[in-house]
Amino acid sequence: MTAKGISVGSTADEVFVRVIGRGTFQNSQPLRLYATEMIGRGYRQFTVDVGECSTMDSTFLGVLAGIGLRLSQQPGTGAVNIVNAETRHRELLVTLGLDRLFVIQLRNGSVAPVAAGVQWHMLPESDVNTVGTPASKEDTARLMLDAHRDLIRADERNLPKFDELTNQLTRRLNKPSSPEEAGHP
Amino acid sequence: MKPFQISHTERGAVQLVQVGGALDMHSFPRLESELRRLFNHGHHRLVLDCEGLDYIGSAGLGALIGFAKEAREHEGDLRLLNVPPHIYRIIELLGFTKVLQVHTEETAAIASFQPK
Repeated sequence: MTAKGISVGSTADEVFVRVIGRGTFQNSQPLRLYATEMIGRGYRQFTVDVGECSTMDSTFLGVLAGIGLRLSQQPGTGAVNIVNAETRHRELLVTLGLDRLFVIQLRNGSVAPVAAGVQWHMLPESDVNTVGTPASKEDTARLMLDAHRDLIRADERNLPKFDELTNQLTRRLNKPSSPEEAGHP
Repeated sequence: MKPFQISHTERGAVQLVQVGGALDMHSFPRLESELRRLFNHGHHRLVLDCEGLDYIGSAGLGALIGFAKEAREHEGDLRLLNVPPHIYRIIELLGFTKVLQVHTEETAAIASFQPK
């Protein structure tokens, strides 16, 4: 059985990301860190293979949107290519307006091989089935806030969808954590 | 992951909405539609029984807060029941337990709507 998680690899001028299983807020942080590093090293082309991705949550999509937005601000022609997408992936991306930011290539039958010959390695802490509770609540809340703000930056129509979430996360980050959580009887 | 399932029953003046499976961006519109339908029929006292829930995405959690706020504007609320531990950890992690009441027993969740 193929290991679940996020695998990455690169050639001289392109970064490849393969998502196997779920892409969620639980494994978005290592992808964000990796992408930041690779953009810093001058990479402008990202190809994300979602052929074996069962589901993506909005935080994960927001991290991808953040990568696309950063690339669009860099000199040169940067792009995020989503490959092996199923119709439901595409519908999700269109719902969030990300089809305007990404180049989406639909899967045609079986999953097409991507980047043959590239040395892949699994990002640490990227299998959501084995990732435990994140070490830092603030880091997770910050990741989610940034991701959803990027979704809103990518398409203003996302504002009503994520308004409550971003407001709550902002309040959460502006207040220190307390050991007692008032809502639990 | 199990497919998303939703059903609802009445408990006096309170609507008990049972959800199961994965509540992600694909399935959330079904919950949204059901909650909207209940609101449109004047039902603003809702308990969301999450016992069968395997997964909830971040956007879904944010939207639940929106529904809770809207319900409170009509003297109701959206309260959570039987939240599985792995989902409770996420809710707690995000600080959402400060704005969403979480219960572990149905009778307590229903009774919480009675005036004290």
